[in-house]
Amino acid sequence: MLQVALAQVRQHARRFIAVGLAVMMAVGFLTATLMVNASTEASLGNSIGAGFRNADLVVTEGPEAPLDSPAVDAVKSTDGVGAVYAQEMGWIAFGTSTESGYGALQNTAPAGLDNLELLSGKLPGDGEVALDAGTAEKRGLAAGDTIELAPAGGLVAAEDLAAAGTGLTVSGIVKASKDPFMMGQPQFFTGGELVQHLAGEGGPQLRSIQLDLAAGGDATAVKSALAGALADAGFADATVNTAEEQTKAVVASFTGGTDQLTVVLLAFALVALLVSALVVANTFSVLIAQRTRELALLRCIGADRKQIRNSVLAEALLVGVGASIVGVLGAVGLMAGIVAVLQAQPDTEFAALAVPPVAVAVGLVVGILLTVLAALAPARAATRVAPLAALRPADEARAGNAKGKVRLAVGVALTVGGAVVLALGAVSANLLIALPGGMLSFIGLLLCATLFVPPLVTAVGALAKPAGVPGKLAAVNAVRNPGRTSATATALLIGVTLVAMMMTGAQTSRTAFDGQLGAEYPVDLSVGDLTLEGQPLDVSAAATAMNYDGIAAAGLITNGGHAEVHGARTGVYQLAPEQLDLLQDKTLVLDGNTVLMPQGSELKTLTVTGSKGSKELTVVEADSRTLPPLISSAVAAEIGVPKLPAAESEDYYTSLPQLWVSVDRDLDAWALLDLRSQLAAGLDVNEYQISGAAVERAAFNQVIDVLLLVVTGLLAVAVLIALVGVANTLSLSVLERTQESSLLRALGLTKSQLRGMLALEAVLIAGVAALIGAVLGAVYGWLGAQSALGAFAAVVPDVPWLQLLAVLAVAVVAGLLASVMPARRAARLSPVEGLATV
Amino acid sequence: MTTKTEQSLVGAAPGRAASAAATRGLNKIYGTGDTRVHALKNVDANFDAGKFTAIMGPSGSGKSTLMHCLAGLDTADSGNIWIGGTEITGLNDSQLTKLRRERVGFVFQAFNLVPTLTAEQNITLPISLANGTVDKEWFGYVTKTLGLTDRLAHRPHELSGGQQQRVAVARALLTRPDVVFGDEPTGNLDSKVGAEVLSLLRRSCQEMGQSIIMVTHDPVAASYADRVVLMNDGALVGELDRPDTDTILASLAKLGA
Ligand SMILES: Nc1ncnc2c1ncn2[C@@H]1O[C@H](COP(=O)(O)OP(=O)(O)O)[C@@H](O)[C@H]1O
Ligand SMILES: [Mg+2]
Repeated sequence: MLQVALAQVRQHARRFIAVGLAVMMAVGFLTATLMVNASTEASLGNSIGAGFRNADLVVTEGPEAPLDSPAVDAVKSTDGVGAVYAQEMGWIAFGTSTESGYGALQNTAPAGLDNLELLSGKLPGDGEVALDAGTAEKRGLAAGDTIELAPAGGLVAAEDLAAAGTGLTVSGIVKASKDPFMMGQPQFFTGGELVQHLAGEGGPQLRSIQLDLAAGGDATAVKSALAGALADAGFADATVNTAEEQTKAVVASFTGGTDQLTVVLLAFALVALLVSALVVANTFSVLIAQRTRELALLRCIGADRKQIRNSVLAEALLVGVGASIVGVLGAVGLMAGIVAVLQAQPDTEFAALAVPPVAVAVGLVVGILLTVLAALAPARAATRVAPLAALRPADEARAGNAKGKVRLAVGVALTVGGAVVLALGAVSANLLIALPGGMLSFIGLLLCATLFVPPLVTAVGALAKPAGVPGKLAAVNAVRNPGRTSATATALLIGVTLVAMMMTGAQTSRTAFDGQLGAEYPVDLSVGDLTLEGQPLDVSAAATAMNYDGIAAAGLITNGGHAEVHGARTGVYQLAPEQLDLLQDKTLVLDGNTVLMPQGSELKTLTVTGSKGSKELTVVEADSRTLPPLISSAVAAEIGVPKLPAAESEDYYTSLPQLWVSVDRDLDAWALLDLRSQLAAGLDVNEYQISGAAVERAAFNQVIDVLLLVVTGLLAVAVLIALVGVANTLSLSVLERTQESSLLRALGLTKSQLRGMLALEAVLIAGVAALIGAVLGAVYGWLGAQSALGAFAAVVPDVPWLQLLAVLAVAVVAGLLASVMPARRAARLSPVEGLATV
Repeated sequence: MTTKTEQSLVGAAPGRAASAAATRGLNKIYGTGDTRVHALKNVDANFDAGKFTAIMGPSGSGKSTLMHCLAGLDTADSGNIWIGGTEITGLNDSQLTKLRRERVGFVFQAFNLVPTLTAEQNITLPISLANGTVDKEWFGYVTKTLGLTDRLAHRPHELSGGQQQRVAVARALLTRPDVVFGDEPTGNLDSKVGAEVLSLLRRSCQEMGQSIIMVTHDPVAASYADRVVLMNDGALVGELDRPDTDTILASLAKLGA
C-alpha cells in the first residue's frame, strides 16, 4: 500500500502543493519563533562577551560587597594569576571647541587582556584618550586633537568645560565596544588613573576584575584560590567565572524579557498551526471524496480497511515530512536574512544566528504530527468507502451523519455557554473571566460553522444574480458541498476575526483613553516653567508657537491672583474670553462670579485675592484633576492683576505664565511628537516641559499603532495560509467539475464567463468568511476592551469601519487572486477535452 | 481569408438550396510523429436543412471529430466549414462560443445537464447565457411535446436517464438552432427508452423542421434518419437514403471487410 501512497503523491503532486504550502508556512513560523530566543541569546552573548573576550577568569561582585581596590589587591596577590585588569567605568561630560555631550569613560586593559580594536592612531597612555569611531566622525575629531573631559553632572556648557575640564589629547580612534553598558553612547578609553579623577563624586564603578592565568596556571585551581582570597578580603559573595561562564550568566540575567516575547510569538504560531491543520484536513477530505471510486476499487481487489487508512496516512506523512523540512529550512533562511540585515547595521552588528536543534526538531515533529493528525479523520472516512462504490455512480455528498450532529450540539453548547461567560466578564470588567469565555464561544462557533456559513453564502450569493448565469451558478456552486465550504471559510474566519478583534479593541481603548485624558489634562499642550535661559515665558511665546504647522491656537495664561485652597497658598490664573477655547472641555464657561477649579476641590466658594482687593467667587468644577484655578480676565482686572513675584519668592513658580496650545485634531502621533520637538526648540525649553492630553494621546496612539501593526502582521501568516486553502478548495472543485465546465462551454459559456464564475465563487466564500470574521471580531474586540478597561474608564464600542472595510476588501481581492490559477486551468481546457473524459 | 474564395466555395456547394452544415476539404490531424493520427482526410460533406442525418462508421473512423469540428467545439487544421450558410472557419474562441449559444444545439451521450440546475433552468441555459428572452409559447410546446411539463422543477439526479436525455433534447430545440448535433445520444439508454428519444428527434425534424446531425454506431438508431453518411478511416465513403436497419448493417459489413 505504501506503493499506492507514493504513486498518489508523485502523480498528483499538484493537489498536495497547497497542503504542503500551508504546513510549510506554519512550521516556518513556529521554527522561526523558537529561533528568535536562541538568536537573541547568541547576539547578546556576542555583545556581552566583547567586554572580556581575552580574559581567562572574570571576577564580579555580589550583592553585598561591591568590588573595590582591596579586592583588586587580593586578586593580584593570588598565586597563579598573571595580568590583572580592574575594569573601571564612569560617566563623563565631554566638550570640543564647539559642542558638548555625555559619554562613558573606561580604563584600558593591560596588554593581553586588551580588547579594543584600534582603527587609527595609538592606544591612549597617561593623559590621553581614545574614542569610538562613530563619535569621532560625528564630532569631527581625529588623533592629535584636544578634548575636554569632566565628571558628568548638571548641565555642562562648552565654556564651563573649558574652565573645569581636563584637556586631553586624542591618541587614537577605536572601534565602538559592543559591551551593552558602553553601547549607544559616545565611548572614551583612557590609560592610567584618569577614570578615577574624572568619574566624579562616587568614583568610578569597578565593573569586573579580569585576569590572565600565569604561565602553567590551572584555571580550576586558581578559581578556588581566588574565591578563598576574595572571601578572606571580605568579598565572600563575589563570583569567579571563566569568560564563557560569565557570558552565560549575564545573558541569562538579560533574557527574562525575550522569553516573554517567545511566548507571545508562540501564541500566534499556534493560530497559524491551527489554521493550517484545518486546511490540511479539508484538503484531504476533498481528495478522499474525489478518490472514492479508486479506493473502492482497491477494496474490491482485497485491500482491507486498515490498509486503506494507512495508505492515506502514509500520503499525509510524506507530505508532512517534505513540507516540514522545507518549512524549517525556510525559517532558517528567513532568520539568517534578518541577522544579515542587522549585522550590516552599525548598532546591531553583533547580531548572531543560532539554530538550536530543539527548534529544528520541534518544527519537524509538530509539522509532521499536524499533517498526519489532520488527515486522520479523512483517512477514517476513506475506510468507510464500500467496495460496491466502485461499481455504482458517485452520489452527491450527503450531509448530516450522527457524528456531525454531536459536533453541532457541542458547538452550539460551547457558543452559548462561552457567550454567557464572556458577557459576565465584560459586565464585571474582568478579563480573566472574559478571556476563557471568548475562547470557548469562538471554538463553539467554529464547530457549528456549517449551521451559518452556507446559508450566509447563499444569502450573499443572491447579490451575484445580476451577473447572469455565471453569477447564479457561482452562488449555487459555492454551497454545493456545505461541509467543504464551511471548512474553507472557517480557516479564513479565524485569522480575520482575530485581526478585526485587535482593530476594534485598539480603537475602542483609544476612545476610552481619550475620554480619560479629557478628565486628566485640561488642554492639548501646556508649556510650563522657565526657558533654558531661566526666563519666564512671555507673549512672544504664543506668537512663536503659532508659526508651527499643526497648531490651531495658542495663548499665554498669566497670573491673576492667589487664593487659600485648603490652607495652601495657590496661584490663580486668568483667562481671557477668547482663551476659553483652548480648554479641552468646550462646555466650560467663566463669568464675573465664577472660578474654575479642578475636579475634587470640595469647595463651594473661593476667595481670590489680587493686588487691589479680593472677591468671593462661586466654584465651578471641571472634569480635569490638574486644572489650575482659573478666573476670567475681567475679574482679574477688578481685583488687580499682581506683578510676577521675585524669583526667590515662594510664589514664584506657581505664578509663572504658562503657554496653552491646542493642536489640529487630525495630527497623527508621529507628527505630534515631531511638533513637540520643534516647539521645544523654538520656545527654548526642554521637551518634558511640554505636556498635555495631546502628547499623552500621541504616545498612547503610537504604542497602539505599533502593537496593532505587529499583531496584524503576525496574524497575516494565518490569513495567508487560509487563502492558500481557498485557492486549493477551488482548484480541487474545478477538477471535480471538469465535465460540467466543458458542458457549459459547449452550450455557450465563454472563457471569461467561466473564469468570472470561479472568481465569484472564491470571492463569495472569502468575502462571507471575512464578513463573519469582521462582525465577530468587532464584537469580541469591544467586549475584550470592556473587560480589560471597564474598571478604569467608560468603554463605548468604537468600530473602526474603515479598517474593517479594508480587511473585507483585502479578503475579496485575495479571493479573486486565489481563483486565478484554478480558473486559468479550467478555461484552458477545450470543451471537447473535458467531455472526452466521460 | 478572402471573401472571394468564400463566395466561390459557397457557390460551389452542391446544388441544394438550404444547407444546415457543410464542409469542404476538411483535415484534422492529432499528435505528431509516431502518435500522428489523420482523423479527417479532405472531408467534403453537406447536410441538408430540415433533414435528420446520421453519421455512421466503425469506432475510430472520425465521426466524433467531424461532429466537433462542425459544431464549433473544435477547430480543423485545414478546410472550410459552414453552419446554415455562414462560414465559421477561422472564428476565434469567443465567436465560436457565441455561435454555439445561438445557432447550434447539443445532445451528448452522457453528462448532458448541469447538476445544480433544475430541468427548466437547464433547458433555458443557452438563452440565459446569451441574455436572451425565452419564447414562452415555444418553450411550452417543446416541453409538452417531450413530456417534461411536470418534471421542470426537478434536478437532474431526480430524473431517469431517458428523462435527462429528453431535457437535453428540449434544450437543444429551444433556441431553434440551425442544426442540432447529437453524439451517441442514446448510447446510455436501454433500447425502449432509446427508441422513444429517437422518435422525438425524428418528430422534431418532421414537425418543427429542425435539422439534426447525429453520430451513432447503432444501426437501429441510424434507421430513424432520413439519410445515413458512412465514414471510414477519416473519410466519407458512402451514403444511404432512408435506409432500414438491414441495409445499414449490410453497408457496415462491407466497410468492415
Ligand atoms: N484528442 C485526441 N488526441 C489524439 N487522437 C485523437 C483525439 N481524439 C480522437 N483521436 C483519434 O482520432 C481518430 C478519430 O476519433 P473519433 O473522431 O473519436 O472517432 P469515432 O468517434 O468515430 O470513434 C481516432 O483514431 C482517435 O484515436
Ligand atoms: Mg466517438
